[in-house]
Amino acid sequence: MKRFLGLLLLLPALALAEPASVIKATELKKEPASDADIVANLPENAPVEALERKGGWTRVKAAGGEGWVRMLSLRYGAAAAAKPGASGVTQLFNAARTGTSGTQVTTGVRGLDAEQIVNAQPNPNELAKLQSFAAERAAAESFAAQGKLAATPVDYPK
Amino acid sequence: MRVWLLLASLVFSLNCAAQFRLPNIDLNKALDTVKNVGKAVKEIDEPEEIAIGRDVASRLLGAAPLVPNPGLQRYVNNVGRWLAAQTERPDLPWQFGVLEHGNVNAFATPGGTIFITRGLLEKMRNEAELAGVLGHEIVHVLKKHHLKAIQKGAQTALAGEGLSSALKDRAGPARDKLIALGTEMYTRGLDKSDELEADRLGVVIAARAGYDAYGLPSVLQTLQAMNAQDSALALMFKTHPAPGERLDTLGQKMQGILDTYSAQPQLGERFLKQAQRR
Repeated sequence: MKRFLGLLLLLPALALAEPASVIKATELKKEPASDADIVANLPENAPVEALERKGGWTRVKAAGGEGWVRMLSLRYGAAAAAKPGASGVTQLFNAARTGTSGTQVTTGVRGLDAEQIVNAQPNPNELAKLQSFAAERAAAESFAAQGKLAATPVDYPK
Repeated sequence: MRVWLLLASLVFSLNCAAQFRLPNIDLNKALDTVKNVGKAVKEIDEPEEIAIGRDVASRLLGAAPLVPNPGLQRYVNNVGRWLAAQTERPDLPWQFGVLEHGNVNAFATPGGTIFITRGLLEKMRNEAELAGVLGHEIVHVLKKHHLKAIQKGAQTALAGEGLSSALKDRAGPARDKLIALGTEMYTRGLDKSDELEADRLGVVIAARAGYDAYGLPSVLQTLQAMNAQDSALALMFKTHPAPGERLDTLGQKMQGILDTYSAQPQLGERFLKQAQRR
């Protein structure tokens, strides 16, 4: 399992080439930086294949070559039909939960659709559990330090 | 002279009062109601806010319980509490929970209780993405988006007097109505401007906490790439602007901050490890 995890971590954020397009005319850059050389100029709606993300940039394969575009200028093709379990850590979760497959235990009338929320009854037991998991501020600070997260002042936008 | 003036004004005001005594309208009662509404709005102080939020949270937990994984729940609480410490309301009783449900969604209730579904957590790749989503929800609490919406709804549905008794008597029927209304709000959603504000400020909070600021945009992009017809997305899509629009807005307004803090840690390894801890 450990080795499996290690392998997973080596995968880029987007494991497979995903079909996408650029929302506006965009320069395809050689490196993930705005002052990098231009590989090609992509017209609005140009189709690309998204390969990996680095900061605010995504590496793509386009008709004009391979390079980097701003991540926020990409929209993924809606044609990429639902692939349950294909992204993120779904498979890990599923394995951890059931040991084998992603079969989910039905929870009867419970659920998070509109009707079920409207008809939900209070659940004080779960509320008590929720409170028992809360973190003290000091504990959260050392947790942050373990992750080498440093607080930094950033103003809200106007 | 002075006495006459006083008398004259007294007679004048009595006349006015008489004129206002129209059939079927009890002016005094109407004025009281107006006063109660005004009072009730101002009277939702922080302890009330927290109490309402917990009652709503209890109902949401009635719809879906917590994922039975204490390690995961504590992990999400650590991330959330660290984020909240970077805000203007650092000392609310913040608590975070992962709901056992495959739907993709997250909820913030007044006073600092925040939920994220297992379905949404599974779509994430690292802690910075989790921080981006929790940051968004934290803004709803900071700006009292839901509390204001509950108040607004309550004034119409319960009228002023109902709202004050709902606040006064925590076991009464008016209270039940208020909490039911507050819970129902999660099926209708907030104003679009509230959601977009939560996106912008949520990015800032994640950046302040030292995370890669692109966490939230990355999650939005994941959601945007999913099939909009997927039933797991139905309620979230119904109650939020489309991910593409949210990404557009972030691109227009937040590009500078996003880029300045894009090299901060993402903590992918810690996220994956914690996500399957028991």
